[in-house]
Amino acid sequence: MSAQSQPQFPPVDLAATEAILARYAAEPKHLISVLQDLQLHYRYLPREALERVGAALGVPLAKVYGVATFYKAFSLTPRGEKILRVCTGTACHIRGAPLILSELQSRLKIAAGETTPDLRFSLEAVNCVGACALAPVVMENDTAHGNLSVTKVRRLVRSGAAGSRGRGSAELPRPDDSPAKKAEESEES
Amino acid sequence: MSEVNLGDAPFTMTIDGKRVEARPGEMVLAAAKRAGIAIPTLCEHKAVESFGSCRLCMVEVTKAAWKGWKGLMTACLYPAAPDLIIETQSERVLHVRRNVLDLLLARCPDSTLIQRLAAEHGVQQTSFSVREQPDLCILCGLCVRICESAATSAISTVKRGHHREIGTPWGGPPPACIGCLACAHVCPTGHITFEEHGATRAIWGRSFELQRCAECGAPLPITVEQASFLVERQALDASYFSRCESCQRRATAQTFGRLARWQKLGLTQEPDARQEGGKR
Ligand code: SF4
Ligand code: FES
Ligand code: FES
Repeated sequence: MSAQSQPQFPPVDLAATEAILARYAAEPKHLISVLQDLQLHYRYLPREALERVGAALGVPLAKVYGVATFYKAFSLTPRGEKILRVCTGTACHIRGAPLILSELQSRLKIAAGETTPDLRFSLEAVNCVGACALAPVVMENDTAHGNLSVTKVRRLVRSGAAGSRGRGSAELPRPDDSPAKKAEESEES
Repeated sequence: MSEVNLGDAPFTMTIDGKRVEARPGEMVLAAAKRAGIAIPTLCEHKAVESFGSCRLCMVEVTKAAWKGWKGLMTACLYPAAPDLIIETQSERVLHVRRNVLDLLLARCPDSTLIQRLAAEHGVQQTSFSVREQPDLCILCGLCVRICESAATSAISTVKRGHHREIGTPWGGPPPACIGCLACAHVCPTGHITFEEHGATRAIWGRSFELQRCAECGAPLPITVEQASFLVERQALDASYFSRCESCQRRATAQTFGRLARWQKLGLTQEPDARQEGGKR
């Protein structure tokens, strides 16, 4: 991971952790459920929250960390609002996934597996997402975008930078310093 | 762990053609060991439950009633049972063992232990491609298990797949560590290292002060954290780790001397034994 694209860790509001813990009995067996809820809420697993969870459920911190690093669904660094998962499965590969991926990488100025410093985007290269007929495919959070081209991907980044679910919520303006914009500018100039 | 309920009576099995007595609840490996039959192991330790991670202890298991069917099982995890017939040196067993060592050698080419075991089995060189930037860890998990059972679960296996390794929370100095060195001590390959200089001990990026003798000030082979952990966990007297061996010996000798003097004077008890507290 390149240092410059390491996102800043936002301050952690532990009240949410307490609220999540309150949903479960204080037993080690609920660890994964709690971690899933934390991931959903914070979009990553903050250390402070995990320390609290370990103490509350009676699971040693090292074990909590072991579990948190084992499952792909968990992240220890802040993830972006939009997680773009570029399918690099066989069908998508043949139909241009590498191009799509490199376009996204240069647009967002991050490598696969990284998150933009403004926490808007995370980029991932994943295996077959099960929509081969639509290849090449990019998942934007839970929405699949198929039959993509480099142009369409550019649009995806623009709309993604603007809205919450990528469905025409253009009212949220993209700050001028967003890496996507910068990438565009540097390309156009 | 699932244990077959066979009552309490010892029974016999056959290992390498030899009649061997086994006890209910024990594993094939334990029975073999007692009978002096050597099975190589890497991830087994008497202080922790078997885990079956190294696969080196594979043996062939069958019974007369199994009509010739033989299974390859890990001896450390296979429960002993009446009438089992076990082979520890069959061609199939040796083949698997060579394969395991071949793989371990690809993972840890620099481990002298793995090199020696492999050579003993006729594997001079791995037939797989050697891992890039290899370290000495075979991921047997012994360190993690001993830390869990004997100490504080300060370390664990982290990440998964190719990236799996033994680590500490966020890769930093583990907050729960008490510097007991149990992990380094059980590690079969010497992957876990530590340093000790004077009265300090360093492991896992943490530095610990050693407990000092309350009388002469000499460092004891135990950290302050470890001493208080053990005192609390074993409900020991707080003074248990307070003296070094030679001061302890001197104190004991003095007590004996005093007792002898009082006895000479016809007293059955010391008039004031309060000063003689100390350990044990
Ligand atoms: S560090 Fe040593 S004891 Fe721990 S898993 Fe690796 S080889 Fe086994
Ligand atoms: S290969 Fe991309 S959806 Fe199957
Ligand atoms: S000793 Fe049995 S698998 Fe390692």
